[in-house]
Amino acid sequence: GVMEAVELRVGFGGAGRMAGGLARGLLRAGKVPASSILASAPSDKNLDAWRESGCRTTHCNLEVLQESTLVFLATKPHVLPGVLQEIRPAVGPHHVVVSLVAGVTLQTLQRLLPAGTKVLRLMPNLPCVVQAGAMVFARGSGAGDGEAALLKSLLSSCGLCEEVPESYINIHTGLSGSGVAYVYLFAEALAEGAVKMGMPGGLASRIAAQTLLGAAKMMLETGEHPAKLRGDVCTPGGTTIHALHQLEKGALRATVMNAVEAATNRACDMAED
Amino acid sequence: MSRSPHSPLLRTFERSHTTGHLSEACVGAPATGGTNRASGPGTPAPSRGRPQHLLRSPAPELPTVSGLRKMGVNFTVSNKDTVKSSDVLFLAVKPPIIPFILEEVGPDIEARHIVVSCAAGVTISSIEKKLSAFCPTPKVIRCMTNTPVIVREGATVYATGTHADVEDGKLLEQLMASVGFCTEVEEDLIDAVTGLSGSGPAYAFTALDALADGGVKMGLPRRLAVRLGAQALLGAAKMLLESEQHPGQLKDNVCSPGGATIHALHFLESGGFRSLLINAVEASCIRTRELQHLADQEKISPAAIKKTLLDKVKLESPSLSVASASKVSLFTNKSPSSKKN
Repeated sequence: GVMEAVELRVGFGGAGRMAGGLARGLLRAGKVPASSILASAPSDKNLDAWRESGCRTTHCNLEVLQESTLVFLATKPHVLPGVLQEIRPAVGPHHVVVSLVAGVTLQTLQRLLPAGTKVLRLMPNLPCVVQAGAMVFARGSGAGDGEAALLKSLLSSCGLCEEVPESYINIHTGLSGSGVAYVYLFAEALAEGAVKMGMPGGLASRIAAQTLLGAAKMMLETGEHPAKLRGDVCTPGGTTIHALHQLEKGALRATVMNAVEAATNRACDMAED
Repeated sequence: MSRSPHSPLLRTFERSHTTGHLSEACVGAPATGGTNRASGPGTPAPSRGRPQHLLRSPAPELPTVSGLRKMGVNFTVSNKDTVKSSDVLFLAVKPPIIPFILEEVGPDIEARHIVVSCAAGVTISSIEKKLSAFCPTPKVIRCMTNTPVIVREGATVYATGTHADVEDGKLLEQLMASVGFCTEVEEDLIDAVTGLSGSGPAYAFTALDALADGGVKMGLPRRLAVRLGAQALLGAAKMLLESEQHPGQLKDNVCSPGGATIHALHFLESGGFRSLLINAVEASCIRTRELQHLADQEKISPAAIKKTLLDKVKLESPSLSVASASKVSLFTNKSPSSKKN
């Protein structure tokens, strides 16, 4: 049956930035008490921050499997096969294994784990840390509706969480995983424009961020097409339409499409390595 | 489109662009570039029992003239006749000629007349100023239309002058609505309208030509490619006009994930398609304003203009005899006594 989140013991194999972001999101949302979280890493380097939050830590991956029911695998891709071999003896039918490892397919995961293991694959993005993440997950053959519902319910505390076919995961990387960086770049450029026109940098940066946040919030809350929202801001002959013309002249749209395509293709290429 | 049975009839006509005929002071002489090819075959017009459509044409050999005559349009070389027999006067000559037309027809303009100028860049105030020498309260309406009026899918806007009543505007609107979309605007928007829908058909023709090329490149016969391209744009435009949805949404509706259309759109975006269109509308609008500014200056003498025009007419239509060209009575107050039908 579906586990109660309260009883859930959550483990993290690997304690890097992405794992930390997810854990922090879960903690902030109050979904899981820190004492129920156990993270493993080869060195103490990453684990200090976890301990400071009240989570338990270890250097032993097996212990994570033994202590937890929901296990997030968040190692570097080249490390994962070794880790899977290590933990395989301890994996049982009660476990739900969720891989965050970029480029490792469900097929590979299922091959390296006991047959029938409930495996899911998750692609989050960094703003999970501040509970404004965008996450997609795909389920393996052993995972059912219950596991999907559990994951979705848990991770919705970190932002938007949707189930997708596995083929969308690389696209999500190009759109949102890497996409966060595109936004930072855009924000930086906005602020730079303002600085050029005479505004101090710190203020410009904060306003740029708030502008992005506000626009995004309007998109999410109204559900309106961004083209329509854009039109709403453009008074005839006004400042906005003049600025948009500059963006169109620079073929911004095509450039952004190129970026998403490049990141997606790279994700696909890396997966095959 | 319903029409009042009592509305006076005026047609606008296309002057053959081969002659560059600048001298037709008509009701219905076409403006530059053949706009106002107009109501033509599409709009049957109930008559009030008087001659229906008076067009002044000094060159009856023009192909447009004979075509119009077949539709029952009456012709005259006399501006006086046209003015006297009409209620609504369309002035559709090239902008630099407008002042001279107005001087010629001015004396015959009465308070009842509605003078409609289709000349790009010619302001209402400049027309009112010229006419006020003859008539204290001239009714002037300025309009901007486009070539698809010829197939009754025109886009027309109009702005009413100081002394034009609401009903006068409505009358024009009714007339032009019979050949497409027509709405009233503030005069200061007319240049923008020129850039968008005035020139717009040219942008569309260019796009259609290129789309057809694309079709041909990929194996379609030219005729079919043209037909399909035109139908695609027609259909898309119709969908947009009949839909509440934003064109961006309609575009999305056509783009299935990873499909053909989105790949194609990426190419358009890479080429700066959108900005090119924005640039085009802007350029046309700005140029309209420039032309208006030039026209306002009126620095050239009437004699110089007359000579330039006549020379041009001779150059462009060697078949026209000098004699017929000299029947142009634009710059004199005398009209030839013969009235051609």
